[in-house]
Amino acid sequence: MDDYTVGVLTNIGLISFIALSAYLLIIAGEMSFGQQGFFGVGAYTAGVATAMYGIPLPVAAGLAMGAGAAAAFLVGLPTLRLRGLYFAMATLAAAEMLRILFELLHFQRDIDGEPVGPDGTQGFRGIRWVFENGVEPAGYLALVWGMLAAVIVLFLLVERSRLGATLRMLGEDPELARMLGVHVERFKLGVAAVAGALAALGGALYAHHNTYIEPRNFDIMLGVHSLAYALIGGLGTVFGPLLGVLVDIGVLEGSRVFQGYRMIVFGGLVAILLIFRPRGLLDERVVNWLKRRFA
Amino acid sequence: MAKAAFCLVLALLSFPAFAQRLQGELDCKPTKTDFIYDCKVKLSRNGQPLSGAQVTVGADMPSMPMAHNVKPVKAKAGKAPGEYEAMLDLEMLGEWAVKLRLAGPVKDQLILLYEFDEKGARPVRRGDKPPRK
Amino acid sequence: MIPDLLQNSFDGLAIGSAYALLAVGFTLVFGVLRRVNLSYGPAIMVGCYAATWVSLAFHSNIFFLLGITVLGSVIAGAYVEKLCFAPHRQGSAIAAMVASFALWMQFEEAVTLVMPKHLYDFPPMFEGGPLAVGPLLLRAEALVMLASAIAICAALQFLLGRTRFGLAVRAVIDAPVAAQLAGIDVPRVLLLVFLLASAIGGLAGWLIAATYTQVTPMLGMWSTLKGLLAMMIGGLGSLRGAVVGGVALGLVEAHSQWFLGPQARDLIAYLLLFVLLAWRPRWMTIQSAS
Repeated sequence: MDDYTVGVLTNIGLISFIALSAYLLIIAGEMSFGQQGFFGVGAYTAGVATAMYGIPLPVAAGLAMGAGAAAAFLVGLPTLRLRGLYFAMATLAAAEMLRILFELLHFQRDIDGEPVGPDGTQGFRGIRWVFENGVEPAGYLALVWGMLAAVIVLFLLVERSRLGATLRMLGEDPELARMLGVHVERFKLGVAAVAGALAALGGALYAHHNTYIEPRNFDIMLGVHSLAYALIGGLGTVFGPLLGVLVDIGVLEGSRVFQGYRMIVFGGLVAILLIFRPRGLLDERVVNWLKRRFA
Repeated sequence: MAKAAFCLVLALLSFPAFAQRLQGELDCKPTKTDFIYDCKVKLSRNGQPLSGAQVTVGADMPSMPMAHNVKPVKAKAGKAPGEYEAMLDLEMLGEWAVKLRLAGPVKDQLILLYEFDEKGARPVRRGDKPPRK
Repeated sequence: MIPDLLQNSFDGLAIGSAYALLAVGFTLVFGVLRRVNLSYGPAIMVGCYAATWVSLAFHSNIFFLLGITVLGSVIAGAYVEKLCFAPHRQGSAIAAMVASFALWMQFEEAVTLVMPKHLYDFPPMFEGGPLAVGPLLLRAEALVMLASAIAICAALQFLLGRTRFGLAVRAVIDAPVAAQLAGIDVPRVLLLVFLLASAIGGLAGWLIAATYTQVTPMLGMWSTLKGLLAMMIGGLGSLRGAVVGGVALGLVEAHSQWFLGPQARDLIAYLLLFVLLAWRPRWMTIQSAS
């Protein structure tokens, strides 16, 4: 497998983290335009940990997840009572505020005579843990997909459990959930924190794959795209968002033919697809049909 | 398992080398085809030109990362020591983060920010200009 | 200090007028169709780029370019409506929104294909510099922006309050099924409202392009963001709220930028929205478009 394919597959894995993060929130009934903020928090936290303090990547990733969860909690708490477009705009505002804070963050340490660390809009370069530890691109790909696989397994387990049913009920009819004794607010905060941690993990892995991050990486485009992947791929199963990512990046790569027209073709296909499949490709109906066919 | 240990030993042995930072410069000229640039890469470490590295040149756009997958090209050794040449096919003009990946005896990755327009490529030193419009 | 405050307020009112127009466009679509159009800004951008192209080719009069901008925005808007909103009229709001996102991507790529440079000059509304009135610098463009916002708002009040079309629109908002039964062609009304919103957006786009004399591909996302921000700050769903939100946003931005710099400007605007959403959701409930 050549370097290029490895790179593309790694990117698919990385974006899947934030797509799954958006998906989790949608299932629980909230549409967030702001998961890219937590992706950024994870990236910066992990980068600072490894590049400035020599902390090994696994620990740094854990720190990143904690930071992502904390940030998501802080955003989720004041926005608990918000629904629909209000919630979406609040998360958008929060993510943009995080991004601007990254633009204002100048925090560097001298490592061997060179300043290392986030430097505002100049970005944060030199996150070279993978190089300093001899990790090959193929090895990193395995790491990213290994973690993603673990996350997918967790999702599948949750979807079959009572927790998953509660989650979906929360999304479709929170009043009913409340009457059945579910502590709706606490649950939502928990989901928000988990989604934040998930996005942050993706961000941490992204930072080390790219070795360079800057605030612009975490702008609205990333957030809207990740939401779109979840919605296009379908909300019936955890494989929906993954399918969404695959379709976009797959079309991106497979269409050298459409050089320069890729977005036009893809955008048109998506709009037309949504006319026929408004809940995405793998929506609940399809998933139920598949389950009955193959169960 | 043995391979991993070997890599680790290699990495540890070469660790002092990584303490010095890799530096690079890009000099790109537009070609007759739109969005294809003829680029010369100058690599140095500790002020000394770095020859003999296997350089692969890729690019990504800072906003919307991972979306414009420019196919990475292997650079050929150029005339002067530390110089490499590659044809870069971008999909549009604007600011690109050019990714120089080194394989072979020296493994590292360098990211250079350049603004590509009809005349060539200029390094970007971002001031705190508002990213408005 | 006082002259600074006055100058900032004046500048803030001017850009706030443009924001108000953007917010009004969003509100029309949200209030009547109950949908969020993520392609709103990009459609405006298409209009501005069409005008830029015409300007580069024919060096037209700036007010002729206004017509081109509006026309371009309306045509782009019609395309969006047909592909994203008409098919989901009785269906999923989210699907419509995601479809509008897909078209946003289309517009951005189309624009950079036809005009690939990162920045194009747009002819100014007026040659010559600002007028110095005491310690203040008053630009004629600012006055045009303010006047446009006031005129459009007055026109909309009239349209919605005193014409048959306005009656049909209000009927569609309050009771869509009854309106259909009463013989109102609901899909046509929705389309016309959408086109009206696009036209207003086109005007806003032209005002901004001719004042800042430049267009970039970022204009699409920027307009959408500002429109959404202003609409939500002012309270979702009412035209009056859209105007108040737009002006408030403009003023907050102008003062923040002057005293604290451009990052603080954006930070404070988002913080304002976040705080308003988190702590005052009651007066932001949906009101009928009034």
